[in-house]
Amino acid sequence: MRSERLAPYVLVAPALLIIVALRLWPLLLGVNFSFTGDGERNGAMVGLDNYLEMFQDATFQSALRNVGLLVLLLPVAVAIPGLLATFIYLRVPGHRFFRSVYFFPAVLSPVIVGAIFNLMLAFDGSLNTVLAVFGVGPVDWLGDPDVAMFAVVGVQIWATFGMALVVFLAGFATLDSALLDAARMDGASLPQTIWHVIIPGLTRTIQFVFVTTMIGMLTSMFGLLYVMTSGGPEGSTYLPEYYIWIQQGQMNRPALASAASTVLFLIMLVVGLLQISVLRRAGRED
Amino acid sequence: MSGKRLSRWVAAVPMALLALATIYPLVFTANVAMKTRRDYVLDRFSPATSPNWDNIVTAWTSVGMARYFANSLIVVSISVVFLLLFGSMAGFALSQLRFRGSKVLFLGCLAALFIPFQVIMVPLARVMADSGLIDTYPGLILAYVAQFLPFTIFLMTSYYKTIPAEIVDAARIDGNTTYGVYRRIMLPMGTPALLSVGILNTLFCWNDVLISLLLMPSADHRTLMVGVTSLRGQYSDDIPTFASGVLIAAVPMLMIYLFLQRQIADGVTAGSTKG
Repeated sequence: MRSERLAPYVLVAPALLIIVALRLWPLLLGVNFSFTGDGERNGAMVGLDNYLEMFQDATFQSALRNVGLLVLLLPVAVAIPGLLATFIYLRVPGHRFFRSVYFFPAVLSPVIVGAIFNLMLAFDGSLNTVLAVFGVGPVDWLGDPDVAMFAVVGVQIWATFGMALVVFLAGFATLDSALLDAARMDGASLPQTIWHVIIPGLTRTIQFVFVTTMIGMLTSMFGLLYVMTSGGPEGSTYLPEYYIWIQQGQMNRPALASAASTVLFLIMLVVGLLQISVLRRAGRED
Repeated sequence: MSGKRLSRWVAAVPMALLALATIYPLVFTANVAMKTRRDYVLDRFSPATSPNWDNIVTAWTSVGMARYFANSLIVVSISVVFLLLFGSMAGFALSQLRFRGSKVLFLGCLAALFIPFQVIMVPLARVMADSGLIDTYPGLILAYVAQFLPFTIFLMTSYYKTIPAEIVDAARIDGNTTYGVYRRIMLPMGTPALLSVGILNTLFCWNDVLISLLLMPSADHRTLMVGVTSLRGQYSDDIPTFASGVLIAAVPMLMIYLFLQRQIADGVTAGSTKG
């Protein structure tokens, strides 16, 4: 039965062809591109020229600084859904309603979220109107270089915490409820329960949320940046993905963009491995 | 005991405020879409007195949202069909069939899962241009299939692993070929997973802007989300029409949220508990 022996290969062939041709092969091509020139030097090997130029580019430096900022804000972006999931798991009044409402922004495209928040965060928009009631502001959320990136990250968290929440809740479902009961019997406070029972019990879930949230912040904020700030004001809201787009789509510098792509790939690799190893160690100590 | 009760209510108050902050932006946008331009300028926050559908009609007919909507519908539906077909075929082979190289294939698939689109977008655009696929429906469909296939295969493989090998063996003894097993056993038994992966892929493709922006540059071929980004510049002085366009683009996904929330959650969490 020759056709039977070939069947598994026939079944995987379309997927294999597509993944190799349109994902793995471009990855290699891209790394190769990054060592070639743009424009007049198109195709010529230029060594590390693109990388040198890029690291001296103020907007790319801004993009890297913002990656650092994202890493610093990451614990916040993970703690918010984690805490909310804890309360929902502990059956706060209305927990079913909250769970369902919090998830809703997760289905919206970053473009739609960005467009809506352009209205919310406008100088005379809803947020400043609300803050004025408390005597605060107005703040130029998207026009002040010191504020804009925080505003965009805030919107990103608003848009994605529901997804992480659902993942946390799935983790809670695997938690041994006997441990929680024991903690309650011993009279543990909520922070003690979270620290000694929930966090050690959910190491794998927390690890997963850390990694996916970071990947999300590094690779799915393009729509927000494109609609809300276009990288401005003064280049303060650049991220590597936006830099890649600008160099490829606007500046016609594909080789330079490829160099930025390679750097983004390395950042993702380092962040992912680092987080996994740190969290593994934390999990083992308990 | 009553202290515990109380603390639960204490948590419920900020959570209710957060729920309000989650819903409010969309309610505000919907309200603005219902206002005339004059009403909006006078007072943007007050509830629209009588719903005014003119802006929605304008956005649908003269702004081009209808065209963008059709483009998205075509590209997304075909992409999802191919994703489910290729994903379930490969998932079946990788989970139930023993053949040389299956381990390597699965690992390669996992590796591809961690390549973000931004990392390959420049060479991919060149490959597409070289093969004449840029600015065509097949080009964008191929790009979407390539982008979301690793994830689809990953989920289908882990789902199909839960199907006992005895069922496959029994089907073979009944005279089914491998293809017969796929068509008569795996496809029907995979329905729950296919549904949830299909919805997630619909969401991903429908909401994408970067891939479409890169590979479908001409105005005629714009997908809905790219259309929304172009609204901003065109209607910066007509916010109600702008809000209407945003609302039209959001409605299909809101429908999915309302009716299929469970399936989305299942798909999202499948990766976390099995990984």
